[in-house]
Amino acid sequence: MSFQKLSYEVKDNIAHIGFGYNSESSMTVLDEDTLLELNEALEEVKKGEGAGIKGLIFFSHIPRVFLAGADIKMIQKLNTEVEATSGAEKGQELYNKIDDLSIPTVACVDGFCLGGGLELALSCDHIIASDDSGTKFAVPEVKLGLLPGFGGTYRLPKKISLPGALDMILTGRMIDAKKAKKLGLVTEIFPKENLVKVASRYFKKGAGTKKRSSPMDALKENLEHMASENFLSRKLIFQKAREGVLKKTKGFYHAPLKILDVMEQGASKGRSSYLALEAQGFGELCVTEQSKNLIHIFFMHENSKKYDGAKGEGSVLKVKRGAVVGAGTMGGGIAWLFANNGQSPILKDLNNDALELGLKQSSANFSGALKRRKMSKAEYERKQLSISPQLGFDGFNSVDLVIEAVVEDMKIKKLVFGELENHVRDDCLLTSNTSSLSVTEMAKGLKKPERFAGLHFFNPVNRMPLVEIITHDKVAPETVEALYKWCVKVGKTPIVVGDGPGFLVNRILMPFLNEAAYLLEEGVHPEELDQACLNFGMPMGACRLMDEIGIDVLVKVGKIMEEGLGPRARACGISKAAFDSGLLGKKTSKGFYLYDAKGKPGDLNSEIEKFLPNMGSKNMDETSIQMRVFLPMINEAARILSDGIVSKASVVDLGLIFGTGFPPFRGGLLKYADSEGLDRITGALERFASEVNEDRYSPAPLLKNLVAEKKKFYDI
Amino acid sequence: MRDVFIVEAKRTPQVKSGADIKDYPVPHLGIGLLKNIMDVTSLPPDAIDEVILGNTGAPPKYPNIGRIVALEAGLPQTISGYCTHRNCASGMEAASQGWLKVASGRSDLIFAGGIESMSQMPLIFGKEMTELFANVMRAKSMQDKVLALKAFRPQHLAPIIAIEQGLTDPFCSINMGQTAEILAREFGITRQDQDEYANRSHHRATAATKEGKFDDEIVPLIIGKKFDRILRHDIGPREKSTVEGLGKLKPFFEKKSGTVTVANSCPITDGGSMLLLASEDAVNKYNLKPMARMVDYHFHGLEPERMGLGPAISSHHLLKKLGMTLDQMDLIEFNEAFAAQVIACKKVMADPSISKRWGINEKIGDLDDDKLNVNGGAIALGHPVGSTGSRLIVTLAHELKRRGGKYGLASLCIGGGQGGAVVIENL
Repeated sequence: MSFQKLSYEVKDNIAHIGFGYNSESSMTVLDEDTLLELNEALEEVKKGEGAGIKGLIFFSHIPRVFLAGADIKMIQKLNTEVEATSGAEKGQELYNKIDDLSIPTVACVDGFCLGGGLELALSCDHIIASDDSGTKFAVPEVKLGLLPGFGGTYRLPKKISLPGALDMILTGRMIDAKKAKKLGLVTEIFPKENLVKVASRYFKKGAGTKKRSSPMDALKENLEHMASENFLSRKLIFQKAREGVLKKTKGFYHAPLKILDVMEQGASKGRSSYLALEAQGFGELCVTEQSKNLIHIFFMHENSKKYDGAKGEGSVLKVKRGAVVGAGTMGGGIAWLFANNGQSPILKDLNNDALELGLKQSSANFSGALKRRKMSKAEYERKQLSISPQLGFDGFNSVDLVIEAVVEDMKIKKLVFGELENHVRDDCLLTSNTSSLSVTEMAKGLKKPERFAGLHFFNPVNRMPLVEIITHDKVAPETVEALYKWCVKVGKTPIVVGDGPGFLVNRILMPFLNEAAYLLEEGVHPEELDQACLNFGMPMGACRLMDEIGIDVLVKVGKIMEEGLGPRARACGISKAAFDSGLLGKKTSKGFYLYDAKGKPGDLNSEIEKFLPNMGSKNMDETSIQMRVFLPMINEAARILSDGIVSKASVVDLGLIFGTGFPPFRGGLLKYADSEGLDRITGALERFASEVNEDRYSPAPLLKNLVAEKKKFYDI
Repeated sequence: MRDVFIVEAKRTPQVKSGADIKDYPVPHLGIGLLKNIMDVTSLPPDAIDEVILGNTGAPPKYPNIGRIVALEAGLPQTISGYCTHRNCASGMEAASQGWLKVASGRSDLIFAGGIESMSQMPLIFGKEMTELFANVMRAKSMQDKVLALKAFRPQHLAPIIAIEQGLTDPFCSINMGQTAEILAREFGITRQDQDEYANRSHHRATAATKEGKFDDEIVPLIIGKKFDRILRHDIGPREKSTVEGLGKLKPFFEKKSGTVTVANSCPITDGGSMLLLASEDAVNKYNLKPMARMVDYHFHGLEPERMGLGPAISSHHLLKKLGMTLDQMDLIEFNEAFAAQVIACKKVMADPSISKRWGINEKIGDLDDDKLNVNGGAIALGHPVGSTGSRLIVTLAHELKRRGGKYGLASLCIGGGQGGAVVIENL
């Protein structure tokens, strides 16, 4: 048999199976052909077992990736539960063949070893890893609403402890080689050039009996092992894990719960019954809407890493150093982003206090990472101290990207840019982190508007992945491309958005918050309102979100929206009343809720009765509340699409998931709308238009057209 | 020899040891300065030839801190960096080596300066303890290790304080403070003289700070446990200092009959300073605007126990070499290691009958109080050992510019019995 997708070779009585031949992209995945060839290769090994072949080595021909898992496109093709279950079973059989070989087997892992790749490695007697920083292990299936279906739930807890395996499988978290060795997943770490050379050491008799790093570790591990073996303690472990999962996912996600079911039931069973349970579980999860949605988001996110917008003739600037003008919370957060990515930023403001505020923000982000041991002390010092806080323009001609984050005032912003133009290079990108002002207007005063765009970050910068790149009619495509690539480079998820009130995310968020305010005005209790949002899957309720943003900001932005969008965006009087009462939200420690000194939310603030006299007087069921606040978002998104603010539905969904935490398991706002049925949604909107308010609820023309043409948002 | 220009001259705030920046990552006392000068001058990073930094006692985790600063500041890896150690004049030694390299045509652009965190000078275990550790490490079996450990005696734990040893002369075995006591005795310098001098230093320094005279030369530090505060001023000078207050302190080095106190000596201090030296070619090529020309330097030796006279002796020889006189200097920066030592220099320089002891048969000149340390000196500002030599040049260049003077002299005494001096010309 000749192999194309992998290499098979017997050298010095040792069979070598090499991956890395099956993919044009940089990541090797296990697709159907590769799995078939793997089966063939294993049959060859079996034939030689006991005869010529004394050992088996798995390795990769390409650096920094061993196997990035099973091909997700293959998973997407599985339409029924039966099909999916049998797909998992086939993989399990294949890996059992490795497991059942009488000769020693070693997986030499350099680079990513994920999902089905790790499950393959787990079927070997030993995993040895390269010392490359890119060597990472994970079983990320849970993130796609799935479970590791090729024996991972069975073999991982056997290889490492049960709590360790649960942690890896339930979170999908990536661990590096060092951590993997500590957990006992990896036998030894070597320089990557030596990996395959030293693998044969593990073929000698009695080699590789695991050496414990210290008696204390050994004791700990033994205890953990004993605990997993013991029925009662095992029950306790699972109970705790289940509580953790419910707390974290609020019960919205099926996969982690299914994983717990499979692993708990399987624990007392033998291999074949355990694997049958696993395959069954995989089959069930595979066909869920939730898994399909999560896979949809995965691809959407992957695709967003490549710039596919308009390209210009000119060269695209690679940003190496940045500057931030305006050192508030946002400015400090953006400075942190530059510093964290080794782009030693200049942080400029007009006075020392402002600069220190910015440094405080950046330092808080870094110390968080330090505390979570994501960063060493030396790295923390180097990165935080790489920020140059200054009052003047020294060094501005060495920066490639300036992000302005001064107060939201058009006049001041124009002044700032006018001055900036005198201090930066001609090719330097100028951007504004405005959240509400027109970038088209801002571009007007500039000598070179083509290198200017909006670059809208979300608060807090270190936690919110989304960045809106706001275009205007004079911007050069090279500018947009350069900004896009920089965003991806620094780990953000960019979307390109046309100019208009609230751009994309805030424009959709506004009707949500505005309708929430109208519901409060009608007498719906704030806690019931928030609970309805939470039960839909939002990370926080509407009132909590208003507190977080600040009522003063909402009033200001509301005014801009109303001016730009007309009567459908008319701000509810409640926000003005709340503003007048001085309860501005988290920033004043008092809003709809009370906040402690650290900003942690507590009870409902009784003072809100001042502006909500009929609080709680109206009973509304949860679904109605949800429809009242979420339908106007879909309606506004339809208008955004027809206005050409963004090019397609997936951009809206990307924006809302990564910019507002819209529940990922719903696949995004418009994916959700599509799955609910646009006819039903339009019908409900029409009903609200006649019963509640015509301006705010009349369905957008695009929505009506789609219904008439029996199309979905994702068909556009 | 070619002309050597000082393009930029910057320093950090100087902070007395054990205070606000006692735990500061030491290389960052130089990194910020270097980056700031790169920003101000807009030089392409690969235009720099070398980084030379004075340093006498960085923590062991930063060996050859000159190279570390160059790399961390973002200069290309191809650019070399090293350290100089000439005790108190290490920064001046760095500037002098930079001067030689540029003047001789070997180099065109050199960063020369110094950094020191005296707060973080290490404690050292004695030789016995070090050997014991080495033996334990070398021992192969547990039994060998135990055997090696048996050699331990509690007195082995007594640490040697690097800073204390560094400030003691190995040749004559006396402390730097005691060298000042010798000068005070020999030249009849009273406690009152010294305290008055020290008091003036504090008042000059605080006035200069208030008037913003240091603003141009200081590059702020990001300080605090969380690195979220900005420090723009020196911490050390005392506005409320009085001669009476200073008079209350007990002599420190000669406890029973001495006159030198910690208050009329310079405090141990943390800080850094940096000069960018350039050839005329580089100035033209990169369109730089130099502040000053570094005219020349000179180092001279004398008895270690009278090291405090180093400035008088070395200044004389430098001026002689240049064919200049002290009168021609519009501004003079003498490091104030000890008030007694500066006053002694003054006496030596004014009186050939004294200076002839060091083979100088002519009057060197009168040290004019209106020219000498006009913005205070190390008694107030502190003396970060590795940095002071270049810090004096930084302060001198800026004050000379402000006054529109022509020539300036910077000089200091050096533990071990030396003096170093540099003359610059304002442009």
